[in-house]
Amino acid sequence: MKKWGEVALGVVTSIGGFLEVGSIATSTQAGAEFGYRLAWVLVLGTLSLGFLMEMTGRLAAVSQRTYADLLRERFGYRFFLLPLAAVLVVSFLVLASEIGGVSIALQMATGISFSWWAIPVALLGWALLWRGTFGIVEKGTALLGLVAIVFAVGALKLHPAWPAVGRGLLPSMPRDDRARYWYLAVSILGASISPYLYLFYSAGAIEDGWTIEHLGVNRVTAGLGNLFGGGLAVCSLIAAALVLAPREIRVDRYEQIAMVLASPLGRAGFVLFLATLCITCFGSTLEIVLALAYTMAQGFGWNWSENLKPGKDARFATTYTVLILLAAVPVAIGLNPLTLTNVAMVATAASLPVTVIPLFVLMNDGDILLKHTNGWLSNGALVFIALLSVVLLVAAVPLQLLAGG
Amino acid sequence: MSARTIALDQLVGRVVRDADGRRIGRIEELEAELVLESHGNDYVVTRFGVGRFGILDTIASGRIVQQLVRRLVRATSYVRYEIPWEWMDLSDVAHPRVTRRERELAQAP
Amino acid sequence: MGGVNLAHDVLDAQLVDHRQEKIGRVDALLLELEDGRPPRVATIVIGGAARARRVGPWFVALRRALRWLFRQRAEHVSRIPFDKVRRIGDSIELDVDERSLESEHLEQWLKERVICRIPGAEGEQK
Repeated sequence: MKKWGEVALGVVTSIGGFLEVGSIATSTQAGAEFGYRLAWVLVLGTLSLGFLMEMTGRLAAVSQRTYADLLRERFGYRFFLLPLAAVLVVSFLVLASEIGGVSIALQMATGISFSWWAIPVALLGWALLWRGTFGIVEKGTALLGLVAIVFAVGALKLHPAWPAVGRGLLPSMPRDDRARYWYLAVSILGASISPYLYLFYSAGAIEDGWTIEHLGVNRVTAGLGNLFGGGLAVCSLIAAALVLAPREIRVDRYEQIAMVLASPLGRAGFVLFLATLCITCFGSTLEIVLALAYTMAQGFGWNWSENLKPGKDARFATTYTVLILLAAVPVAIGLNPLTLTNVAMVATAASLPVTVIPLFVLMNDGDILLKHTNGWLSNGALVFIALLSVVLLVAAVPLQLLAGG
Repeated sequence: MSARTIALDQLVGRVVRDADGRRIGRIEELEAELVLESHGNDYVVTRFGVGRFGILDTIASGRIVQQLVRRLVRATSYVRYEIPWEWMDLSDVAHPRVTRRERELAQAP
Repeated sequence: MGGVNLAHDVLDAQLVDHRQEKIGRVDALLLELEDGRPPRVATIVIGGAARARRVGPWFVALRRALRWLFRQRAEHVSRIPFDKVRRIGDSIELDVDERSLESEHLEQWLKERVICRIPGAEGEQK
């Protein structure tokens, strides 16, 4: 029974990776414009994130220190500022988009404009962080996030041609509209492989008290969690391919994304879409804020934990308070949540090298990981992801300018 | 007796030259040991670890680049000297000098 | 006698006080040089000013400008003699109390003026 509880951390993190506003937006845009042909990018993102999470989880379980701790300890303060700055800027954009996602869902549910919802949503998130323990945040998000299964139900009800889906899961080159194809590919990868995810996972492993005994749980959690999240993202792509593509609808508002579930499942689909958007984005909000506060606190050596009363970790508590309230501002002043999301995804993709490359050094350090350093498979995957991250860095800005929506 | 106080990070990364003025690498590490003194216990530096990366030496001044390079470029040109404190002349902290020639220095295994 | 690697194990290491509370990291380590004697490991420094110096003069200038903007005058830096070190392991345990440290000024100030004004902040564990 205990093991299933541990899987919650993997599920929560993967929800943050695959079912939050970025993935919903990018997967459905991809499905609407290219049918199943970009599904392989989701597979690539899922596998990459799975490997990265397993590694930062193993790092925490064996060394009893988080990835952020080790970034400061092993590379010094001067280097640490680089990933810190990159993660702060990029994750802040994503955080603003997540608040935007919740706000849009509430607008669709109540008719009250999204910009009015930003600050109340941020305050509710803050209140949960203030009073809730890590377990509550983690398991609450994982359980409520199960509502996202509606995407699988919707996709199945649309009766996709599975051979065609299978072909989409294999890498393919675009025939036309090449710039747009690769732009969406970059966005999907930015939505899937976000640094705050493996930073959060690493800190979460310490919050949950993982030790060397948990290495197996870590693998299962990272694997199953991502299978769950990635699978549902593929379902949202399939649904978009079958509902939006035939109507040649190019997504530029969240209301259009709602059609993806409203079409196969009617009113219930629409309601569950709103619930999914609301819950998964809210969960991601909490996750990103915590990831940022963790990274600051661990890098500077402050007291930190979601299980401590705020009075015991004042700087940590102040950090998440300030961040969540600041992140509500862009949406509160009326910036388009979908545009915010698209920019945040590409920025994330471009920022990956500074958090992926140092991991390669740490995962091969026997002082930190004892006999649990990377084997050839993990190292191979990490080198591939590192090279991928450099390609994304180079391609991101040109593609955004050429084909950004 | 001139006593000076310097910060550790003013030493780490500095280029070290031997008695002939030849560049032998950069300071990577300072190893300290506990010594029993009359006025209490003190940690004193016993050895300097100086590492050289061959042609990559010019870019390998940051800790992360050093560690990355060491992982990738395994054995070939990386050499590390263990230099006892008595052989290190720190009268000019920005330009540390070893009071022996390079060939007399002990290499780390 | 156990040797300690200063750059690897001490600099940037997590510090904890005698009650295992986290009190920051080793932001700088001061050595005393004297002719004819081995360099002595003298002082652990905790504080933003010490960190800033490690990045470069431009960073120190930027920090000074921001502090002037927010009207911060005093530097809250702790200089702890190295003989206060009790244990060097994954973290370095010091024989000090966090409440007496100058570098904990921000933590104390935030705790008193901001955090504890909001209900639900007091206590140990949630």
